[in-house]
Amino acid sequence: MTAPASPLDGCGRRDERNAEVAGPPWCHALVIAPPPLAATIAEDLARGLSGLLAVTCTPDAEAAVSRIAAAPDWIVPLILMVATEVPIDDQLRILDQEPALRTASLLLLTDRAWHEDVTLAVDQNRLQAVIHAPWTTGTLAWLARAQVTRWLGANRPQDPQTQQLVAPDGRPMAPPESDLLRLLELETMDVATQLLAGVERVLGPCARLRLPAGTRLIQEGVDVDAVLVVLKGRVALDRAAPSGDLRLHHDSTGAVVGLLSLARQQRAFFTARATTEVEVVHLSFEQLDRALAVDPSLGAAMAAVSIRALANRLQRADQLQIEKTRLNQALERERQELSRTLHQLEQARLELVEQARFAMLGELAAGIAHELNNPVAAMLRATTYVGEDLERVLASHPQGALARSVFEAERERAPRSTREERAIRRHLEQALGDPALAQRLFEAGIEEPERARALTADPARLELVEAAAGIGSALRNLEVASRRMCELVTSLRTYSRPKGQPVSGIDLHAGIEDSLRLIAHRLGRVELERHYGELPTIRCHPGELGELWTNLLANALDALDETGRIRLITDAPTPQAVRVRVQDNGRAIDPAILPRVFEPRFTTKQGAVRYGLGLGLAIARRIVEAHGGTIDLTSATGGTQVTVVLPVAGPPD
Amino acid sequence: MRLALLILEDERAVREALRRDLAPFASHIRLEEAEDVETARDVITEIDADGDQLALVLADHRLPGTSGVDFLISLRTDERASMARTILVTGQADQEDTIRAINEAQLDRYVAKPWQPELLCQMVREQLTDYVVSRRLDPLPHLPALDAAAAMTLLQDRGDF
Repeated sequence: MTAPASPLDGCGRRDERNAEVAGPPWCHALVIAPPPLAATIAEDLARGLSGLLAVTCTPDAEAAVSRIAAAPDWIVPLILMVATEVPIDDQLRILDQEPALRTASLLLLTDRAWHEDVTLAVDQNRLQAVIHAPWTTGTLAWLARAQVTRWLGANRPQDPQTQQLVAPDGRPMAPPESDLLRLLELETMDVATQLLAGVERVLGPCARLRLPAGTRLIQEGVDVDAVLVVLKGRVALDRAAPSGDLRLHHDSTGAVVGLLSLARQQRAFFTARATTEVEVVHLSFEQLDRALAVDPSLGAAMAAVSIRALANRLQRADQLQIEKTRLNQALERERQELSRTLHQLEQARLELVEQARFAMLGELAAGIAHELNNPVAAMLRATTYVGEDLERVLASHPQGALARSVFEAERERAPRSTREERAIRRHLEQALGDPALAQRLFEAGIEEPERARALTADPARLELVEAAAGIGSALRNLEVASRRMCELVTSLRTYSRPKGQPVSGIDLHAGIEDSLRLIAHRLGRVELERHYGELPTIRCHPGELGELWTNLLANALDALDETGRIRLITDAPTPQAVRVRVQDNGRAIDPAILPRVFEPRFTTKQGAVRYGLGLGLAIARRIVEAHGGTIDLTSATGGTQVTVVLPVAGPPD
Repeated sequence: MRLALLILEDERAVREALRRDLAPFASHIRLEEAEDVETARDVITEIDADGDQLALVLADHRLPGTSGVDFLISLRTDERASMARTILVTGQADQEDTIRAINEAQLDRYVAKPWQPELLCQMVREQLTDYVVSRRLDPLPHLPALDAAAAMTLLQDRGDF
């Protein structure tokens, strides 16, 4: 590295000398450079910083850190670092050990054409200027002073020396040298005024036009061949859209309307409309051209006005972009919320449909039960009458006693397995030696070989015995069948009893048995185990509980593949509560949906809506909760258990 | 050798009703009953041991342990019974079961509960006759249980006349 020759050769002396000319002794600029060069740099810097900072030299970053560590009250607004073999980022990391150095403005002095060691410096916004060496004497002083001024304005605005350098608005007192940057620092209105003043110097005075609110200054889609300088009032920029005018931007006093379209030699992209009364100056393309040609310094004002307008517009566009993103996010949130709500509504509707279906089934069941009840009762009675009357008829028959005993034996005959029956028949066959005859006698209830032989010898008696046995078994079957129908009718009526008030003294087991009877056709080959404990009667809505057991049993059956086992366990865990557990040994519920099994859900299979596990359980939970009870479900390999606990006292009032 | 008919029905009352309605056959063929599939297999073993032939099975669709359809399907692989004619007597077989019975068990007839006794008897007679014809048995010992006209035709075919 080369540098202007310097009469001074050491930092130590430099420090002493600078201490005299510097401002507060605790305010320092650090030069990090090898000693001979450091002195040269320090001299140039000191010129720019006299009265502001002392200049201190250190040979490298480590030395700088230890120097600062030894002087904890120092303030370091500026570091000037000379590029060496040590990468800049590495040096920066070392400097960052000392908090006082982390905020300093960093100037890099380098003689290299390339730097690849400043990534951190740039990324962390630590690099304020890069200066090429050799430098023109004074460059360092000038740049350093500007940086220090800026640093003081930002970090120590209250210091007396800062207030001499920096205006109240934070800008340095010294204005920029270039016209353009100087103009850019002005208020938009002031720039416009300066532009207009320049134009009037060339063209002579221009008339002010006063226009009412609503006047269109330029129109969308129309060629622009003039600009309007807005001296007072506000202007809105609108663009036609299918859904009505879209407001793009709202400009206030100082705008030069039409400038952008003029610059692009295009038709206006939007309509500029006065939103208040406005005062404008109208400048045609040719007038503007003349003014700029005659006074080239007006170009900077034009540029400043344009840049300012563009910057405003761009900022507005960025804001709109941010706003758009935010709105999109809000919209997306609302969309999801709506979708959730819709889903919930759909589920609620399904639950209502299911409830309505149950209510309808209940009415239907009640109707059927009512209609069946009378004929079934009549049938049951009729079997008794037939039996009684037959006995009266037989009383007057010569062989009445025999017929009557056969009839009664057959009517009361307890069920036997077909295997037992076959064995008896076989025995009879062997005794008689005639299978067809043995069959006939067996069907007439004659099982003892002696009696059989006696009857065989008397065909008339055999006929009578056969007939009496036939009537006996027919009446027995009729009675069993009508009793079964009676039970079914009773179950249906319990099931469909309207809700109304809770009923006391209800036997839970009877309700479960009713439900079992109703779904008996589905039980098929499923093995059913009842482990019924001692239960107090409870107060409840029996019909609702019927629906509950039916739902739970149906779910258990769904988990089984035709075969399997359902276990019903009842007990009273406390004197105030009864507990029913329904266990199956079928497929476990997918753990993923286990937390949501009580939510109403449904599946569609092959186009048909199927109420899955969820809907049945949702209804079950509603019923249990209405009774002031609890329902829980556990499921794992080996099966599922639903536990229902109901208060003996019944639903809360 | 006697022809045997097996009633497979788990409900006592229905079994007894079937037995009574089929009483006209009782003097001429062997009537057997089973309340479940296990007993039915025992019966088949006994029939075979006595030198008789299982000619016809009337099975209920719903039975404890297995469905009547499954039993009928399994018969097809039992050489003692593979030629037996089959009738499904049912109150509630669904379409799927019925299709299986026809396709896999080569079901011969389907009777819905409640049945009409005359039609049932006629059907049993036809099936017994079909069995005798298809096995080319001598129809004479079984004639009262068979369709007389068809049996005569068979006799002519056999050249027994």
